[in-house]
Amino acid sequence: MLIANEVSGDRATLKLGGRFDFHSHRDFRAAYEKVLETGAVREIIIHFGEVDYLDSSALGMLLLLREKAEGTGKNVVLAGLHGTVKQVLDIANFGKLFSVKP
Amino acid sequence: MNNPGLTILIVDDTPTNARQLEAVARKLGHVAILAGNGVEAIDKFKSEQPDLIFMDIMMPVMDGITAARHIRGLPTDKWTPIVFFSALEQMQDIVRGLEAGGDDYIVKPASLQILRAKINSYARMLSLQNEVRANAEELRNWRMDAEEQSRLGAHVMSRLTDAASLRDPMIRHFNMPADTFSGDLLCAARAPGEVLNVLLADAAGHGLAAALSAMPLTQAFYSMTAKGFPLPSIAEELNRKLKSILPPDRFVAATLAAIDVRNQTVEVWNGGNPDALFINTRGEVAMQWASNHPPLGILPDKLFSGMTETVVFHEPGDLLLCSDGLTEAENPAGGWFAIDGVRDHLSRAQGGEARFTSLLKGVMEHLGGHPGRDDISALMVSVPIDRRRQIRFDTPIPSHQGHLAEWRLDLSYGAQELRYIDVVPAVLGFVTQINALKPHQGALFLIFSELFNNALDHGLLGLDSATKSWIGGFELYMNQRGERLAKLRNGRIDIAFQLHQDGTRAVLDISMTDTGPGFDFEQRLNKPDALGVGNEQAYGRGIALVKNLCDQVVYSGNGNKVWARYLVSDLILENEESEDEAARRKPDGAGDVADLVMF
Repeated sequence: MLIANEVSGDRATLKLGGRFDFHSHRDFRAAYEKVLETGAVREIIIHFGEVDYLDSSALGMLLLLREKAEGTGKNVVLAGLHGTVKQVLDIANFGKLFSVKP
Repeated sequence: MNNPGLTILIVDDTPTNARQLEAVARKLGHVAILAGNGVEAIDKFKSEQPDLIFMDIMMPVMDGITAARHIRGLPTDKWTPIVFFSALEQMQDIVRGLEAGGDDYIVKPASLQILRAKINSYARMLSLQNEVRANAEELRNWRMDAEEQSRLGAHVMSRLTDAASLRDPMIRHFNMPADTFSGDLLCAARAPGEVLNVLLADAAGHGLAAALSAMPLTQAFYSMTAKGFPLPSIAEELNRKLKSILPPDRFVAATLAAIDVRNQTVEVWNGGNPDALFINTRGEVAMQWASNHPPLGILPDKLFSGMTETVVFHEPGDLLLCSDGLTEAENPAGGWFAIDGVRDHLSRAQGGEARFTSLLKGVMEHLGGHPGRDDISALMVSVPIDRRRQIRFDTPIPSHQGHLAEWRLDLSYGAQELRYIDVVPAVLGFVTQINALKPHQGALFLIFSELFNNALDHGLLGLDSATKSWIGGFELYMNQRGERLAKLRNGRIDIAFQLHQDGTRAVLDISMTDTGPGFDFEQRLNKPDALGVGNEQAYGRGIALVKNLCDQVVYSGNGNKVWARYLVSDLILENEESEDEAARRKPDGAGDVADLVMF
């Protein structure tokens, strides 16, 4: 999985690409831990624009991030949802757990 | 280097050569062993198991080349480098040495620096080799442990998944693991009122971790179903259980369904699984339940919703639950089987068995011989329309009078408690602890739940059963019920059970009084043949069923009081009672005879 990390002001964006699955564990954690340590960040946007596959362990990683972010007073937003990625997140009703932006 | 020194075998028939090497080796912290010819070398190799060998070629008794060949032929589990150290310097000598199993060749005489550098170089290589060997061994142990854990996991999961209740003739199922065993869990059980509950759970990931996440669900599902808890309460309990034991990144997608053939309803809770489908006999999707909750184990109790969707069916069909392993099964080009594939294959065949086979065949063809990336499971319930279905319970065996203890239970529930307590399973939990009543759990569940639901729905909530017979009326009825129950502030339901002897029989009297306005029982209950085959009405069947299961049912007051007598068993009397004693045992609580309508 590819991850690009942008921080501007109180907003951090993690742009993901490729397959977001079990093998992405280490990369994803390394990327969000950096953002969690950045005190100024209030909102973490996970952008799925370039993601073409998402499995249940990816959903687990999002839940873990959500829990850690809540602990540091940050909000996690899911963005760029499309195609099968949107379908998987919809079936799991993640819209009820995360803020979602188009 | 802090590695322990090597054991170096030095084979040379010239003592000065041997001693020179020995001195270098000792100085570097190694142990040297000496051998004067090939035969001695082989003996020392066997007894001392050296790490490195320096071997002369021309020696008496046995030359170095022969000795090296022999040593290479011995069984060993480690690599011992052999360095030829010889005055022979021709190209063919060197090649011969290496071909005999030598790893290196040094021409005599060699400088001390060269010998030192060679020994250090082999020490490094050997330490690397030891590390690799240790890692390989660790990996082998890990693998053996993992296989053992898998074996146990597979055994436990297969026992849990292969519960006898899944062999119900209405049920068909398959479960294809992506790993050695599946993290998808299928359960089915009958509630006391004959309602069939099924569960298809898919834990995140697959293999042992997934199976471990799903296992805690089985016990709660089976025990709550056996006690007759409603589906929303079961969903809430399963969520609570998983939330308390799973880490935040683990969860279980689940579909729960309750199939009630008698009332012709299917109730579904779907959190995170693909749509549940009800396919009618023409192969059309008659009903569909999308996931409208997050999976189990994510939300805390107060945010979790056990809200179900209940639909009335008017024709037979097949209810299908599946995991996303089925809809996301990929063909070699990466295309998903999808819910459309599921629907297509189900509608291609007629009849439960053929339909299910068609689905299984369809997904296997789609996979094109490749294993699924995720566990693939499906469970299908063939749902009949069966209005003739007679509820029959086994005739109880006569019991000895001495075993019958008279027993009485009085309960009173106010509005506050009625709003959140599952009264039927809670009360029946008490009642069926009485030994004499245990075998009657099914019948008592039906009788009590009908009487109680009448008291609550009609007496306190003022719902009209006639609503249920409209198109879409059942859903309307259930919505109204939910809303009115949430707003209930006044009212009370009194319940009494009494187990006692009535002549030569043991009977259970159940009486119930609600504070509602009652109903015109004389008119309503005198309708002929409410249980009759042709009765399309969704209401009135409940009381007829109670009448069918009980010895007597009596309404009194303004319809807000009901008394029912249920035959528990015939008694084998040990000493005959006098007529007077028997006569004194009249039903009480039946009210003024003038108010009674007797069945």
